[in-house]
Amino acid sequence: MPNILKKMQTDLYDGDMDAVEAATRKAIDEGMSPKEILDDGLIMGMEAVGRDFKAGDLFIPEVLLCARAMHAGMEVLRPLLEESGVPPRGKLVIGTVAGDLHDIGKNLVSMMFQGAGFEVIDLGVDVSPEKFIEAVRAENADLLGMSALLTTTMPSMKATIDALIKAGLRDKVKVLIGGAPVTAKYAQDIGADSFASDAGAAVEAAQDLIV
Amino acid sequence: MPKQLSVSTLQPMVKMLSDEQVRAIHYATLEILSQTGVEMQDPQGRELLLEAGARESNARIKIPENLVTDAIANTPSRIPMHDRLGNLTMPLELGKVFCGSGSDTTFTLDVETGERRLATAQDVENIARLCDALDNIDFVMSMGNPSDVPPDDLYIHEFISMIRGSIKPNIYTAKNRADMEDIYRIAAAVAGSEQALREKPFFLLYAEPISPLLFPEESLQKLIFCAEKGVPAAYPPSPNTGGGGPITLAGALALGNAECLVGLIITQLIRPGTPFLYGMNTAAMDMKSAIVSYGSPEWPLGMMAQMDLARYYNLPAWSAGGASDSKVVDTQAGIEMTFSIITNFLARATLIHDVGYIEYGSTSSMEALVIADEIIREARFLSGGLDINPTTLALDAIARIRPGGGFLADDHTLDNFRTSQWIPRMIDRSRYDSWHAAGSKDMYTRANERAREILAEHQVTPLSEAAEAAIAEILAERVA
Repeated sequence: MPNILKKMQTDLYDGDMDAVEAATRKAIDEGMSPKEILDDGLIMGMEAVGRDFKAGDLFIPEVLLCARAMHAGMEVLRPLLEESGVPPRGKLVIGTVAGDLHDIGKNLVSMMFQGAGFEVIDLGVDVSPEKFIEAVRAENADLLGMSALLTTTMPSMKATIDALIKAGLRDKVKVLIGGAPVTAKYAQDIGADSFASDAGAAVEAAQDLIV
Repeated sequence: MPKQLSVSTLQPMVKMLSDEQVRAIHYATLEILSQTGVEMQDPQGRELLLEAGARESNARIKIPENLVTDAIANTPSRIPMHDRLGNLTMPLELGKVFCGSGSDTTFTLDVETGERRLATAQDVENIARLCDALDNIDFVMSMGNPSDVPPDDLYIHEFISMIRGSIKPNIYTAKNRADMEDIYRIAAAVAGSEQALREKPFFLLYAEPISPLLFPEESLQKLIFCAEKGVPAAYPPSPNTGGGGPITLAGALALGNAECLVGLIITQLIRPGTPFLYGMNTAAMDMKSAIVSYGSPEWPLGMMAQMDLARYYNLPAWSAGGASDSKVVDTQAGIEMTFSIITNFLARATLIHDVGYIEYGSTSSMEALVIADEIIREARFLSGGLDINPTTLALDAIARIRPGGGFLADDHTLDNFRTSQWIPRMIDRSRYDSWHAAGSKDMYTRANERAREILAEHQVTPLSEAAEAAIAEILAERVA
């Protein structure tokens, strides 16, 4: 592997945003293909981060720094990837469901997805089923992520899935749900595709869903 | 605005006794020493005290106040304990807190099988090696009476196993003066010379009188040996409430103080300036089982009071904590270890021994040591207090964030999370699914695995050839 990609992985692991961005530009200047930079530089670097986070060796703020650095590299690469016809990793529409104003957990999941190379459309909090449907259709999303912190707002997840079916979009998108009161059983009951108990697990579940 | 003074951090500390209470105990101690007197069975100790101005009546030695005052004034206010490589790692000074294991248990919990069995010399070395690897264990004690060596050589083997297993300072026990001489020879070989040993002591004697008021010859001779050589000693009596001491803690403290000060006076009469560690053990004797409790609230209550006495005398002090009466490493053990460690920290006890004891000090446990290491780290964090300054007040971050959006990804969090939060190692805070996927392990299981991991990996700088040669020589002499 070229040294510049090895260094990119290390800089990414260290969460050095400027270094990753600079390395991405340099790799492009040296004539490397955007796909090679993405797969062997950024994604491989992020896989090491994910592995060590799962093993308990890294802390969330450190992973977020890495995700930020990954995102900076991706911003440079994205136009070139599109030009060369490399399919994107996946597009996620995400939000906290109607009636629920809790932002922090959902933001964490958003950042983790960005760090894993996904394109993320974050609709914010208190998102109605209609707004979710509209965004899924407009963005041609691969994944829909819904978050709820309150037991009382969970039913809005089912309402959104029902609305997806009604709009004829249910087959086009995989639905991923999470949040403190959400369980795998609940996901099954309301017809979601997957449930994740934390942000790292959400990204893993998404990768399994869209392979 | 001109540069303002910073806000200083209050580091919380507990005083158990008022100045008036301290004086009341001190006066009671003087009364015990001068009017009741002690039974001094060691002729040398008896002569020393009488020559210095004590008097004898009704077979008791009665000690006047001026002997007490002079001896305290002569006792060093600090004992610079070193590791056996000559580094200053444990300066025993008021305000500092150091933790370590305990001595001489009959049993140990086998780390492989979980079985409670008689301790061996190898156990002493293994537990010393575990202590060597644990960051918050500052000194080593034997944690076992080896059952596989000749009984007369027991304490020699304990000492050898401790110094082979760890470079950390150790606190040793001995049977008599002959033991002391052999241990001293080995220690001098480790340090390189007798002078090096005096200047950078890495060993400290733990001897004690028999409460109440009895000073046996063997016990005194060990203390006298240390004073003659100028090496450190502790002489904490054990007036356990209802057993060796009165049932009331105040009386036990006055008595223990008197007994300890007799040891202190003897050392200072022989050699003024002998490093002597003040302190006593005032645990409660349980009124059903007659065990001496290492988990009762009276235990830290007495030690916290004793620290106020130590500060009155301007001396660092011996204390105890991180132990349990439970027969296994369970919730009771966790409660009792935590209770005594945190209270000792809040009282700024100088030297906390007995960490890792279960079964009221009859059994040692490596798992308990690993868990206590975590509790000590937590207690130290809490005792540090709360810094209030521009960085910790975080006004910029508070002004910057979006309402409801949170601080998780804010630069202030990224810059400060490592220092602002205590980060667990043995305590488990993982989410249920991760914990379940990792085998649903409870604290005991995790501590057992950690102990075994350390034993498999941790290397200790071996003793010098000269030290091993001295050990071989002494063991050969003992056989002959």
